[in-house]
Amino acid sequence: MPPRILLDLPQLCRLCRPSPCLTNNIQRAFGIKSLNPPKPNRFNVSPGLPVLKSTQQDALERKIKADTLPLRTGVLAIKKGMTAIFDQDSGKRTPCTVLQLDRVQVVSHKTRDKHGYFAVQVGSGWRHPRRLTKALLGHFAVNGISSKRHVHEFRVRDERGLLGVGEIINANWFQEGQYVDARSNTRGMGFAGVIKRHGFHGQDRSHGVSLTHRSLGSAGPSQGGGSRVYPGKKMAGNMGNIQNKLQNLKVLKVDAPNGILVVKGSVSGPKGCLVKIQDAIKKPWPEGTLRQPGSSTV
Amino acid sequence: MVKSFFWASSARHSTTAAASMAVSLPMVRPLGYLKAMTPRLVPPQICWRRHLSTIYSQKPERVPLPANLPKEFYSQLPERLRPDNEPRKIDVIPPPPSACSVCKDPVATVTASQLAILDPTGERKALFDYRRNPRSVKAGDILRVTFKSGDPFSGVCLGIRLRGIDTSFLLRNQLTRVGVEMWIKVFSPNVGSVEIVQRTEKRKRRARLYYMRKPEHDMGSVENIVQNYLRQKSALTGQPISKSRGR
Repeated sequence: MPPRILLDLPQLCRLCRPSPCLTNNIQRAFGIKSLNPPKPNRFNVSPGLPVLKSTQQDALERKIKADTLPLRTGVLAIKKGMTAIFDQDSGKRTPCTVLQLDRVQVVSHKTRDKHGYFAVQVGSGWRHPRRLTKALLGHFAVNGISSKRHVHEFRVRDERGLLGVGEIINANWFQEGQYVDARSNTRGMGFAGVIKRHGFHGQDRSHGVSLTHRSLGSAGPSQGGGSRVYPGKKMAGNMGNIQNKLQNLKVLKVDAPNGILVVKGSVSGPKGCLVKIQDAIKKPWPEGTLRQPGSSTV
Repeated sequence: MVKSFFWASSARHSTTAAASMAVSLPMVRPLGYLKAMTPRLVPPQICWRRHLSTIYSQKPERVPLPANLPKEFYSQLPERLRPDNEPRKIDVIPPPPSACSVCKDPVATVTASQLAILDPTGERKALFDYRRNPRSVKAGDILRVTFKSGDPFSGVCLGIRLRGIDTSFLLRNQLTRVGVEMWIKVFSPNVGSVEIVQRTEKRKRRARLYYMRKPEHDMGSVENIVQNYLRQKSALTGQPISKSRGR
């Protein structure tokens, strides 16, 4: 009877030893990484070619070079409604939106060293601590902030834009006459058909059309087109409740004690919706607003 | 060492097996198997099995932890059993004072601040507040509006729209036999004065008199009525018609 052997001895020894791939000190990578990282190609080697820049650091540098990052943080406001302002001299009527700032406070910072970019986390309103998760409560407690209803991040260009944690931002953060960008969610329309959602014309009321007066008709070509529906085909679906950004809104009025900010024109969303306001990126940055590092005045 | 021991036994085994094929049992037994050295892979036979007839035995009672256990032994206990195990307290910081409690209705605040400039006495607001002021302008009245630029416009008031700062009224007249209508903002700085030329004889039963656009209800031009009014007014005040600015 030949003796059965379960494992060869060298094999046993190999199992006991840690595998070589584990012994190497491999660092876990965080952040966004490319699914198709750039690979050297033998046809793509010549002295004059530009260096591929696909790292997070390069992305930040490009962003700074494009000058599309505001110098200072924005604020969270609540849309309160619309009214108009008459100009006393010209008699011109300007429709405007009234926004209110409610206990807007800096919650924390995102820094380049730790997170790869600079941003100010801002909270507004108040929510009962009972209604918050422990994770958020801990975050607020560490930074010495009361529990906030809304928390949002505003990217800034560099560390000079990092307003101190716990500082309260009031409506006089903006100057009358400057321009701002307002981001907010549009009014939700629910599940909407193609006529309402995409402006389709619909089909005939009569001429033999039966039960499909408001439907989209054909969704694509026949066999010549591949017998399939192309991606991005406009169809019925959920409409609205997506973020919309309105740029270059002029600040008409600032009332710090009441936290009122009046901007020209309309802002997306229903009354009571959250609006994120930041200096307009398409206009020159407002002067004299950026605080110098180390100074305590806002 | 183990390996050599094993191969020695098997070699002996094979030689003996080849020598005496007919013998059922090998003459020399192997000295040992590796299997004996490895941990037992086959689970031990279940020697104790529960049946319905098994006498129910109670759970063993939990042994209480020793009282006054020194702190250095806490690490040996699971976290939940440590005497000092309590949910970690999270500081709750009271919220700062809110601007929302100071100003409950910001739109009304902005409107009020506008009205304080545009209509400091509140006279014009009262003139068109037909829901509260019985002496206000009503639909069907004939009005004469003078703008800051100097040109007047008169007509029948077809309706008043009360919308705070955007309060406005609609005037209808006929100029060169063509019907003309104009929405006028009450608080617009361009509006110099508003005069009531003639009040409606009977209270109109509609808030908006859009039926007056129909030919059978159209009032036509109010030019004559306005001219009469201006003549009377100039006679009373002793001022020429062109400079008449009232209200």
